[in-house]
Amino acid sequence: MLRAGLSKHGKKAVSLHKTGPQVAQELLACIGCNECLLACPALDEAITIDVLNRETYSGPISTPVAHFARSCFQCGACVAPCPVGLSREAMMMWLKVRLLRSGWEKS
Amino acid sequence: MRNTYQFDETDQETGYSWLHFSPRAGQALRAFITLVLMGGGIAFYVWYTRHSPDASPDSIAGYAFAITGTLFAMFAGILYSRRRRSHKKRVVGKLHASLQWHMCFALLALVFLFLHSFGNFNPRTGTYALYGMIALAISGVIGRLLDRLAPRLIAGEAHKALTTRGEDRVESISQKLQAIVVHNSEKVQGFAAPEESQTITSSPVSLAGGPLSNHFPFEYRNQPLHTPWDLAYISLEATPQELSREAGQYRFVPDKKSELMRPGALMPGAREHMAELEEVEKAMQRESFYRYVIRYWRKLHVLLVLVTLGLTLWHLIFAAQLLLPTLMHK
Repeated sequence: MLRAGLSKHGKKAVSLHKTGPQVAQELLACIGCNECLLACPALDEAITIDVLNRETYSGPISTPVAHFARSCFQCGACVAPCPVGLSREAMMMWLKVRLLRSGWEKS
Repeated sequence: MRNTYQFDETDQETGYSWLHFSPRAGQALRAFITLVLMGGGIAFYVWYTRHSPDASPDSIAGYAFAITGTLFAMFAGILYSRRRRSHKKRVVGKLHASLQWHMCFALLALVFLFLHSFGNFNPRTGTYALYGMIALAISGVIGRLLDRLAPRLIAGEAHKALTTRGEDRVESISQKLQAIVVHNSEKVQGFAAPEESQTITSSPVSLAGGPLSNHFPFEYRNQPLHTPWDLAYISLEATPQELSREAGQYRFVPDKKSELMRPGALMPGAREHMAELEEVEKAMQRESFYRYVIRYWRKLHVLLVLVTLGLTLWHLIFAAQLLLPTLMHK
């Protein structure tokens, strides 16, 4: 569920996580310009946007993508540069939840 | 650093531990350089204090520490900010390296400015500037810890707010509650309507003519008395006017002894769903709180940068006022 926009006090409210269908929609809307990855201060590996998009929604998660998902500190630096107004931050949160759940399933 | 990644089914990753750490070659190099520079500064400090009688902030070594520390602080502040705002020669992953250099330079600046004090903590401008620097470094260290812990906490709360299929759990619970409400209302409507003769009885009292007639509403006046009625006659038998508690339409009348007073009797599962809904709402509130913590901690760090900058400038002006006359007279 995304709750973004202005709060009742006129300040920009924080956005919450997104649901699976919303994340899928955002992934489909991604044009692959790489702007979000270029603006990310947490990413320390040269992973490509197509690899990240492919592994975000479902399926197995590779080591570099998992490492990036764990390193992401939800600063929101990736949101502003997106030319299509997508929230990579929310997509990364989806990936984090997937990792969290997969760890519990494994144990 | 790999330019393209070929996925191998065997390297599937799972789990999200609290203190995940996967060292990289670049990180190790940066940490090594920082430790070498820090060690060099400390070694020089020890050597100088043992061999020189003038171990003070305004000695040659003191100035050297001050200038080096200020340069490191400037590198820490400027390089990362410039890299973040720059739109030229951007490479994926380079901003992370800049962030790490930012931390390295900040720690070096703190150590060198601390050495510049030579243990002199008189309540003067320099000491306040140093306190500002310490507060800034502590806020940075706590910020990095929050960067690790808060997203993990947010992921835990987001997990609570999503169903196993990744749908909105609030919506899912609301739909279940709605289904319960519909089911119950259908049950209520499904009750057999009571027969008219059981519920509607004509008034036994003739309102026409009698002394009480003027006390009744206008529409009842002058109506004939259907059955004879004696005010003195009292019977313990159930009269047609009495309500039968067993009648269908009174099923939902609250009664302490009634089975209906049992929790969840009217809406089985509703309370559990309501509790679940509250739990999800709280999880979302916590998620929002953690996000605000991340956001406002950065603002606090920037605020401390400004405060430290102000205190440092104050100290530099103060030091210049002391130094310039001395240099002019030489």
